[in-house]
Amino acid sequence: MTFWLILSGMVAVTFGSRYAGLALRVDLPDFWVRFLHFVPIAVFSSLVAPALEGNRSEWGIRVTAAAIAAVAAWRTRQLWVAIAVGMAVFWLLRIPF
Amino acid sequence: MAEADTRGAFVRGFWALAPLWLGVIPFGLAYAVTARGAGLSLLETQALSAFVFAGSAQLSAVGLFASGSAGIEIVLTTLLLNVRHLLYGLSLGREIPLTTRERPMAAFFLTDESFGVVAAARERSFPFLLGAELSLFAMWNLATLAGYLVGASIPNPEKIGVDMIFPLAFLALLVPLVRTRIELTVALASGALAFGLARTLPGGLPILLTGIGGSLFGAFLTRGTPADRSINPEDAAREVA
Repeated sequence: MTFWLILSGMVAVTFGSRYAGLALRVDLPDFWVRFLHFVPIAVFSSLVAPALEGNRSEWGIRVTAAAIAAVAAWRTRQLWVAIAVGMAVFWLLRIPF
Repeated sequence: MAEADTRGAFVRGFWALAPLWLGVIPFGLAYAVTARGAGLSLLETQALSAFVFAGSAQLSAVGLFASGSAGIEIVLTTLLLNVRHLLYGLSLGREIPLTTRERPMAAFFLTDESFGVVAAARERSFPFLLGAELSLFAMWNLATLAGYLVGASIPNPEKIGVDMIFPLAFLALLVPLVRTRIELTVALASGALAFGLARTLPGGLPILLTGIGGSLFGAFLTRGTPADRSINPEDAAREVA
């Protein structure tokens, strides 16, 4: 029973966070419109940077794979190509020679 | 005709997210194995995936369940990890026109991944967003079920290196958004800030703080330039995904 009570709380705070932003419909001042323009840029950067370190002291390999994937993304503009290229490089460099 | 358009947009959104399945599946399997190890039933494990639908929060909740933490602790941790979705909603809410009935549905299934794909795509519509969202939801729940049933024989995602897929995906989504020197400055500063914060703070919090800090920095750097207020900009540079 306790589990379902906790689950309800988790659903409430998660859905609340997800809904609040979408529901807010006000005419924002210029500063906040420009703020929102940078949200995806700042968020994506924060999802990438910490993950490049990893927990297995292989940050050099991760950064190299990411750099090559970034070039692939820039050249092809295809999400799957960037992931495939990055993972191929990552797995290749991981093989101990 | 209108119905065919809706269906087409939904399908395009569904497939736009598909490259991320490769990252979702091992993560979902790992979550289910952890949940099972923590003593949760199949129904409980699946219910978290179906109703909370937030990977990092589910994983940490399962750990807290196992350690016998208080319910309030679990709920507050979930809030801390998930409050970043507020930013995604604010960003998407301006770009995609949603009716009162569409809004709760768009909100319920909103994730990092679907926000990423839609924010980087040229197409902005409710069916496209929902297609991307349900694409992830379906895979996440299937992976949860499979992980629970198959159990401990699944290799650790980090060991086989598939934990690298999400950072690569978000990097690929980021690249086409960076077109000006200011945008590059904001991206680099945000990366450095998140890197520093992630050393001391749990999962979702560095994302939230960096999302706010980086965007404030960008808004400050672009002071004096008029903001683009168009709801559905025909932005040719947003072509990825």
